Amino acid sequence: MNWAQLVITVVTVASILGVLTLALNMQYGHAGMINFGLVAYFAAGAYTYVLFTQPPPTSSLDQYLIGLDLPVWVGFLGAGLAGLVFAAITGWPTLRLRGEYFALTTFAFAEVFHSFIVNEQRFANGTRGMVGLERPLRDQITFMDYNLFFAAAALLFLVIVYLIFERIVRSPYGRALEALRDDELALTTVGKQSSRFRLEVFLFTAPFAAMAGAFYIWYTTLALPEIFTAEVTFVVWIALILGGEGSNRGALVGIFLVVLFEELVRAIPFTTIRAAQVAASLEVVALGLLLIIFLRWQPFANLTRVRRRTTG
Amino acid sequence: MLMGLLDIENVSKAFGGLRAVDDCSFSVTAGALMGFIGPNGAGKTTLFNLVSGIYEPDSGSIRLEGKELVGRRPDQVATAGVGRTFQTPRSFATLSCQENLLASVSSPGEGLLQAFLGSYRSHEEEVAVEATELLSLVGLGNRVHDPADELSGGELRMLEVARQLIRHPKILLLDEPTAGVTPRLQGRLAELLRSLHADGLTVLVVEHNLGFLLDLVDHVVVMVMGTVLTEGEPDVIRNDPDVINAYLGRRDGDAA
Repeated sequence: MNWAQLVITVVTVASILGVLTLALNMQYGHAGMINFGLVAYFAAGAYTYVLFTQPPPTSSLDQYLIGLDLPVWVGFLGAGLAGLVFAAITGWPTLRLRGEYFALTTFAFAEVFHSFIVNEQRFANGTRGMVGLERPLRDQITFMDYNLFFAAAALLFLVIVYLIFERIVRSPYGRALEALRDDELALTTVGKQSSRFRLEVFLFTAPFAAMAGAFYIWYTTLALPEIFTAEVTFVVWIALILGGEGSNRGALVGIFLVVLFEELVRAIPFTTIRAAQVAASLEVVALGLLLIIFLRWQPFANLTRVRRRTTG
Repeated sequence: MLMGLLDIENVSKAFGGLRAVDDCSFSVTAGALMGFIGPNGAGKTTLFNLVSGIYEPDSGSIRLEGKELVGRRPDQVATAGVGRTFQTPRSFATLSCQENLLASVSSPGEGLLQAFLGSYRSHEEEVAVEATELLSLVGLGNRVHDPADELSGGELRMLEVARQLIRHPKILLLDEPTAGVTPRLQGRLAELLRSLHADGLTVLVVEHNLGFLLDLVDHVVVMVMGTVLTEGEPDVIRNDPDVINAYLGRRDGDAA
């Protein structure tokens, strides 16, 4: 087993999914909004990035219609913008829904979007997807291992998002979100419009999830519908619950543990296909068991309450 | 028309076939300390929910200082100056008592940009000082930094009152403030309400604890079947045969 490679992979994947976990923590851990369609914002950003940066179709095998051939950074910003637009479209009609109704609607939106990218071949080649996509600065990075460089870039993005979110959470804004989560009616009767906070949190966090999608394209070099399934949403949910919802640090601990666990299983050198299949199933079982154990004993519970600076 | 601080005029609200509030009218003068009594289901809490905008009346008008409240969202009614507490106390359970109060006033730090820039510190510090004072006033001086979910039922009621007081409402509606509160805290609550009344705050209290209420308020509205049966000074109400009949009940064998 190549330990250095394992660490690089874990840092890269956990950093990208960590941004999603932080976004979900803001929505659910702080504002109490149950979003089961998180992958849609991730995928919207990923596909927007691809359409922005790919050259127009040349081969007759390509069925996609639009390729804008724009620079990488425009594609990255475009991904963020797509997240914002997608959040506005899905958020506006659903934010009056509460709890499980909101959860079901977000899940349905994500499934509709997934169905769209699977079936609409003119969008991004449907199930065949777009493969062999370029990784940014691939030729310029000669002084160090590219994978190490990319892991550092993903980690830097995660740290920036973490710092922004921490600042929001520790401000009166974060306090208002927690008040909303604790008792919406009580917040209303002190003169605050709860729907304003819900919509803002949705619009504010979605672009980061979408930009993480662009990072994921850089990592996998693939835009395939099968890597943007509900499984992404639920891995992030498991990570958040493991780490303790309500705490950004907990969210990061959770996602790094889950990704480490997944990559460890994948790194085991199996000699038969059967053994690999069994291991893949056991991985899901073990993740489920971990979730139950964590829910029962809450080892990170002391991390989860935000301590704001108080005076007086 | 009547022009008190709060005017309720011909307000009705039905839930299906049940007329919870039925053509109810009364006026609250500024500075009043007014009690509401009536049997269960008389429409007292529904009336509070109508005034605070949680329900919209089927008909009628509710005006604060002459301005119509009907049709406004609950947060807009609250901002207009109506403060209220609930029969079952509500709080921000994971926030400390002090944060419960801070979260109840509007802060510049509740805009995303200001939150990010951090331009709210001086405002926060001012309000934090006031919050601590207010918590001492309602008897929670030793609970300032404890999370609300560690408070007893009675303490939660006091916290809820404090959360409204820090907003400086024009009128405060209290729904059964003594339920589940120890006699010691009840005494403190009565003392607090008297001093708020002396400072000119208008207070409406729904209460089943008649001993507490009739000693406290200077005007009583008796509600039965969603409408006002009678109103007047506590001593008059105490001896009104209709009130005794509708609310306190008669002993078997009493002359009608």
